[in-house]
Amino acid sequence: MGRTGPAAEAPVARGGQIVASIRGEPRTFNRYVAADQASELLSLLLQARLVRINRSTFELEPWLAETWESSADGRTHTIHLRPGVTWSDGMPLTGDDVLFSLRAVYDAKVDSVLADSLTAGGQPLRAAAPDPQTVVFTYAAPSGRGLRLLDGLPILPRHKLEPALTAGTFASAYNTTTPPAEVVGAGPFVLREYQPGQRVVMDRNPRYWRKAPDGSALPYLDRIVLQIVPEQNAELLRIQAGETDLTSSELRPEDYLPVRRADEEGRLRLIELGVGPDADAFWFCLKPEVKAKDPRFAFVQRPEFRRAISYAVDREAFAETVFLSAAVPVWGSITPGNTRWFWPDIPRYPHNDATAKMLLREIGLVDRNGDGVVEDMKGTEARFTVITQRGIGWYERGTAFVRDELARVGIAMEVAPLELGALIQRLQACDYDAMYYRPVMTDLDPAGNLDFWLSSGPSHFWNMSQKLPATDWERRVDTLMLEQAAELDPMRRETQFRAVQQIMAENLPVLHFAAPRMYYAHSARLRGVVPSVLRPPVLWNADSLSVSP
Amino acid sequence: MKRAGRILLAAIVSVAAAAPWLAPNPPDRVFEDLLYAPPTRLRFLAPEGFGAAGLYIYPQRLVSRLERRFDDDRDRPARLQWFTDGRLVTVPGAQGGPLLLLGADRFGRDTFSRLLYGARASLGLAAVSTLLALAIGALVGGVAGYAGGIVDDLLARFTDFVLVLPAIYVALALRSVMPLVLAPATVFALLGAIFALLGWPIVARGVRAIIASERERDYASAIHALGAAPSRILLRHLLPAAAGYLGVQATLLLPAFVLAEATLSYVGLGFPDSVPTWGTMLQDASNVSLLAEAPWTLAPAAAIFMVVLAVNLAVQGTGRAPVQLEP
Amino acid sequence: MGRFLARRLLFALILVLVVSSASLLLARFAPGDVTAQLGPFATPAEIANTRARFDLDRSPAAQWLLWAGRAIRFDFGDSFLYNRPVRGLVGRAAANTAALAVVALALATIVGIPLGMFTGSRGGPAAAVVRGASLLFLSVPPLLTSLFLVFIAATTRLLPAGGMTSAGVLDTEWSAWLLDVAIHLPLPVLALALPIAATLERLQSQSMADALHQPFAVAAVARGVAPRDVIARHAWRVSLRPICAVYGLAIGALLSGSFVVEFVTAWPGLGRLMYEALRARDVYLVSGCAAMGGLLLAFGSLIGDLLLAAADPRIRDAQVGA
Repeated sequence: MGRTGPAAEAPVARGGQIVASIRGEPRTFNRYVAADQASELLSLLLQARLVRINRSTFELEPWLAETWESSADGRTHTIHLRPGVTWSDGMPLTGDDVLFSLRAVYDAKVDSVLADSLTAGGQPLRAAAPDPQTVVFTYAAPSGRGLRLLDGLPILPRHKLEPALTAGTFASAYNTTTPPAEVVGAGPFVLREYQPGQRVVMDRNPRYWRKAPDGSALPYLDRIVLQIVPEQNAELLRIQAGETDLTSSELRPEDYLPVRRADEEGRLRLIELGVGPDADAFWFCLKPEVKAKDPRFAFVQRPEFRRAISYAVDREAFAETVFLSAAVPVWGSITPGNTRWFWPDIPRYPHNDATAKMLLREIGLVDRNGDGVVEDMKGTEARFTVITQRGIGWYERGTAFVRDELARVGIAMEVAPLELGALIQRLQACDYDAMYYRPVMTDLDPAGNLDFWLSSGPSHFWNMSQKLPATDWERRVDTLMLEQAAELDPMRRETQFRAVQQIMAENLPVLHFAAPRMYYAHSARLRGVVPSVLRPPVLWNADSLSVSP
Repeated sequence: MKRAGRILLAAIVSVAAAAPWLAPNPPDRVFEDLLYAPPTRLRFLAPEGFGAAGLYIYPQRLVSRLERRFDDDRDRPARLQWFTDGRLVTVPGAQGGPLLLLGADRFGRDTFSRLLYGARASLGLAAVSTLLALAIGALVGGVAGYAGGIVDDLLARFTDFVLVLPAIYVALALRSVMPLVLAPATVFALLGAIFALLGWPIVARGVRAIIASERERDYASAIHALGAAPSRILLRHLLPAAAGYLGVQATLLLPAFVLAEATLSYVGLGFPDSVPTWGTMLQDASNVSLLAEAPWTLAPAAAIFMVVLAVNLAVQGTGRAPVQLEP
Repeated sequence: MGRFLARRLLFALILVLVVSSASLLLARFAPGDVTAQLGPFATPAEIANTRARFDLDRSPAAQWLLWAGRAIRFDFGDSFLYNRPVRGLVGRAAANTAALAVVALALATIVGIPLGMFTGSRGGPAAAVVRGASLLFLSVPPLLTSLFLVFIAATTRLLPAGGMTSAGVLDTEWSAWLLDVAIHLPLPVLALALPIAATLERLQSQSMADALHQPFAVAAVARGVAPRDVIARHAWRVSLRPICAVYGLAIGALLSGSFVVEFVTAWPGLGRLMYEALRARDVYLVSGCAAMGGLLLAFGSLIGDLLLAAADPRIRDAQVGA
């Protein structure tokens, strides 16, 4: 049933506290209006959902919902809530709270960040509660993801927040200045204190509904402290010094060595999470409205150009050099870390400079003046600038590596590292030639990332938010993605999505080179660790963590 | 002690000037297999069948990239080559190089060569800023001291006000206002301008005092009586009296500007990473866990220390407040 | 005395006003604005709301007027980064920086001045060692010292390698909290204090030597007074006068040095806050930090001037008379 930590060797010790570091301040305790990492982590700890996707096995688990039935057409789902569940302040949790949460998500004044992903067939979900322990969801169209959608909806208490929703102030409810006792939830922990710039303190929820397999109460821990440490170097220092138990994200390749030493000395545990589910991405901005006047666009928009680049980059050497050999080569967006959707037979482009040069010649790019850079018939050189985020070691190594590989086939590329803010602005304005970045997909299920796959999506990086698909193959991808999102049969979904991956591999709007192997460090005294490749790697299972005495 | 300081300073400057000749490797040459490699050990050998006795190195081989382990290839000792390739000493790559006297940084670039080239960039920027600050300060201070009256008064107040502000915050604010990533030449010009802006008030204050007192001297009134134009009096007769002061001030501003560049580059607001300067090299030192494994990363800190020490030794006994009070 | 204080108050107000307005305008004119922090996928509505919230949709002059109007009532606006009013954030950060600066200055004084008196009044090997050490510490600016100390702390694990408080210390009374802060203090304080201590030592040494050459001292020795008594009774007071002038300058140096030290040792002070605010173009936080910094500066130079007046009667009379 998936990887678990050391099996029941000794009875679990109760009590104690752990300290985890986070990189940014929480902007709010209201998950409905914030999507940053800190808010997501806090909502995992303070609130509960109806169902949970186990981050290790990716199976759907009953959570606040105990059992459920779905109709054959996939449109109606009847959920039976667990009896006897109460909020952290003692009030009973009923179907009314579920209905209230849905209302809040779709409320226009709230403008929730969760609203777009909680749809089926493009329409909001509807729900009704025939009795306090039952909720019936009605989907406008069948959805391949089914009830897995509900893993993204923390349930909030109606008795606390209905006045705010009615008054139109829900978006500022549960903010960082709300008194901690007012932040009521059904999660394993309750808010105790927030010191801005320093830490968030949470105590165990004595009324937590979940029980350990042996029937004893959860969580085991008495307290979790989230220490705010803005810099990754400082985070590493703290965990090595024993001041924290967990860091906010996986290790950088360059941090592997000091943590390995610490593991050998028994101060830390170094664990391998597996291959990350997100590969790196290299793409050109292909927005015709902006790029049409650029003489280079004539050849950049040809898939042969991008295929040539794919042939020119030696992915094994890339994984070796850029990620210090802690990575696997990939040829598509879905990596081996995403076990459910990975397709091992996706078309590959083995490293071959001759083929690359031949493809370039096919579209008219030849070195006509002997300067080592190919030009087209009009004399436009294949010369670009690639932008990436400054200060991240492997981004810098990656762009330098690609630059050197492309120089061998006659494409001149310059690297311009930028601050994240500037990078984002340029991305949104299509004010760049090429970009190298590692976008983090929110959901392992492709139907949860339609903002990337659909041409109309706001995360369709190379040409965002199109009104109509700019190319034929993008139209085909749109159709296939919408089909597979509504398809209930898992085998058919797989076939449809493989067709999408095939089209993407042929046209290469985005090139992927490698997916990192993720390593993580935690203190030696932590028990019950079930690692996950998704963030947060360990705290997703916080109610079952304990510390050795 | 003063002589020691002057000699040290002269040595540093000449090393910086001769960097292209002294550096064993080009500063931007990347050795992909030698990220964070330790310094190559120099050995005095007489290996069988490889040549006469002399200085040799064993080429470093990569064992594990993730674990940063290297070992020496003892089968192929490489001899140090003198006066080849336009460099004083080097080991060409083809024969088993590179010669990494202070190890390699996170991209696999030779720390020692970057240190030498970094001296050029850091000292060059400091020198240019110093000259600018001196020029502006001397001019403004001279005019104020000579004109006297309300001009002098206004200037004195303005200078006092600016001097109160902590320099690094002003530099930080001015620099952050510009786009955060700029071409190296632009950064050089920008930082030079900012430093000159920070440095001229203190020069002006001293020059003003000197000029004001010189103005009262007999020879000055004599020249004035002879009908010389004020600008001529100022430039040819009064300002030279401030030459000694300007000289001392120059030696004080130089290390302050070196430090300022190091600070700004360290926090990421100075030169881009690809340009070797002491400040950008110090950025590697911000990963403290790495420092323990690779202490040669602190080499630029040692270099900066030597510059500051040299200056402090050289100005001993001139009655000036030492460098540290200028931020 | 009252007039003197009134003048200093006016100076402080002008300083704070100029510095905070200048930084507000600087942050406003910088390329990019705070909406870049919203992330790549923010909706236009979100961006417009944020801009309106920080008056970025108005002209710089209008924004300044709005800000000044609120500032008079001690409302410095909100910070985007921390989602809270600027006032509390800046107050706490300033307190941390001030604490650091005060302790560093105190340490520098306690170490530097007596040592300076020692080396200034005699020769011999001990004094030579102290003089050499001074020269060494003079040449190590806070940037280098703090890097080195953090390195030592990280490898030996004797002291915490950064921050102001430990993560696990909570729910505690004042004494335990103070102890926790006290463990985190040595690193940043040493980095700041060492060069200043060396400076004070050098200056005091010179000043003491000068004082001992003055006619009154020479005469006393000629009269048969023991050298130690000459120092203890008269010379030390005379030698202190030039030092007091230096304290005013030291405040500026402390603030500058504290920026770097806060950065390297992750001390949650004003310098770090301002840096983050500038990077993120969080306009009101920038001007709040600048205002607070100006206040600290004005206060520090006031103390410096008061010290000077206390030490040198001529200045005191001049000030009072002015």
